[in-house]
Amino acid sequence: MKILMKSVDMICVSNKDGKISPIKYKFVGKDEQIHIVKINKILERNEERLAGNRMYIYKVMSVINNSKRVYEMKYELATCKWYIYKM
Amino acid sequence: MKKYIFHIDANSAYLSWQAVYDLQHGSNIDLRNIASAIGGDKSKRKGIILAKSLKAKKAGVKTGQPLFEALRACPKLTIVSPNYQLYMACSDEMMSIIQTFSEKVERFSVDECFMELSCKDPLTIAYQLKNTIYKTLGFTVNIGISTNKLLAKMGSELEKPNKVHTLFEDEIMEKMWPLPVNELFMVGRATNKKLRKYGINTIGQLAKTDIEFLSLMMKSHGRLIWHYANGLDSSPVKKDSRKIKGIGNSTTTPFDVDDIRYASLFILSLTEMVALRLRANNMMCHVVHVSYHRASQGGGQGRQRKLITPTDNTNTIYKIAMELFKEIWDEGPIRHFGVRVTMLNTAEIYQKSIFDEKNLEKKRRLNKHIDLLRVKYGSQTIKRASFIESGIKNINGGIHEEYPMMTSLL
Ligand SMILES: [Mg+2]
Repeated sequence: MKILMKSVDMICVSNKDGKISPIKYKFVGKDEQIHIVKINKILERNEERLAGNRMYIYKVMSVINNSKRVYEMKYELATCKWYIYKM
Repeated sequence: MKKYIFHIDANSAYLSWQAVYDLQHGSNIDLRNIASAIGGDKSKRKGIILAKSLKAKKAGVKTGQPLFEALRACPKLTIVSPNYQLYMACSDEMMSIIQTFSEKVERFSVDECFMELSCKDPLTIAYQLKNTIYKTLGFTVNIGISTNKLLAKMGSELEKPNKVHTLFEDEIMEKMWPLPVNELFMVGRATNKKLRKYGINTIGQLAKTDIEFLSLMMKSHGRLIWHYANGLDSSPVKKDSRKIKGIGNSTTTPFDVDDIRYASLFILSLTEMVALRLRANNMMCHVVHVSYHRASQGGGQGRQRKLITPTDNTNTIYKIAMELFKEIWDEGPIRHFGVRVTMLNTAEIYQKSIFDEKNLEKKRRLNKHIDLLRVKYGSQTIKRASFIESGIKNINGGIHEEYPMMTSLL
């Protein structure tokens, strides 16, 4: 997997316990088209505090162009930003 | 179980913190592996090097050096502007990890802590601590272990980076005495020069010098460094001494200043940063201090004033700084300005007592929003009209936050 760190517009759910889960996101691809990608499954959740900056890391699965892709997303707590981290 | 003192020191703190932050945000360059430095604005001649990578050090870049000099020594140097919010976050997180190892932790500076712990095996603890910090926060530290603060601090300086050292009393002769005398804590440039003049070149030589002679030569400071050279120090590890004593900011001007308009602009630009840092720390000051150095033959003046009510307002600090400056300035050409605030208190306590003063609250809100814009979008986002066409940066200088020194705690 390659590190992309590309920011995206995300719809996510924050449940009663404060647990945040990504649902689907929108990003502009190389073709300058808008793509909507659904998160089909969250496989792993992790947290990091590198340089004192908290981020949630999600290993997720999406169906992109009719094929299953497993990759990682990041949520930065300080800025409320979502990123495609590694793909 | 024996009582041990640990000194934990982040390796090239500002630089490695920035490096980790960049990597976390997808950068493919690790600042620690290239010739890089943290410092002021690269496009201006002003600003100094605050931290540097090992490669930059090898190329001759020194901490405290003006940027243009550093770039002359190392033209390919990558310079990153300082990000104080990041440093405080790293510092706080490092502290909180250390506090999981011991209750008795003292923050000595933004990247250094002392920890006291009674244990059987201090080496194992130190390695655990070092690895936990690295795994969690992504940067390396040096740890010195001993029985007092001075030796622990000297120990952590021995070989860098990412190392644990012991420096117990019976190791002083072998590990500390051969070192050049300027590597001893509290031996600054001036003291070093004096000592060298008398042929005292190593810490060992200093340790064996007659204390009365040192006392004659440099009074109480002579006695202090003699004790340190012999590894003697009984200062306790003090919890919660993270309080900053003062915030200062100073700058060397690119030309001789002999006109009140320019002088006031430099003082204002320094005040902007001091006040921003004051507010970022959620503090208010009771004392404002202003100083200048003359262009020729050195010399200079400083004056301070205690305020009736504490403040964190840029305009108030600036107004007092200007009053003081007018009192001490002889209208001769100036090459260096400094603004400093001391006697700091937390702002929360103050806020309550002035809650009904609407105007003040408004001013504080305005300051806060300006700060946010500047932190987020850069210091040039909002500037006072007086700076337009002046050729002077609206925020100036190399900020300096003063934590209590070890000596002041003895
Ligand atoms: Mg350090």
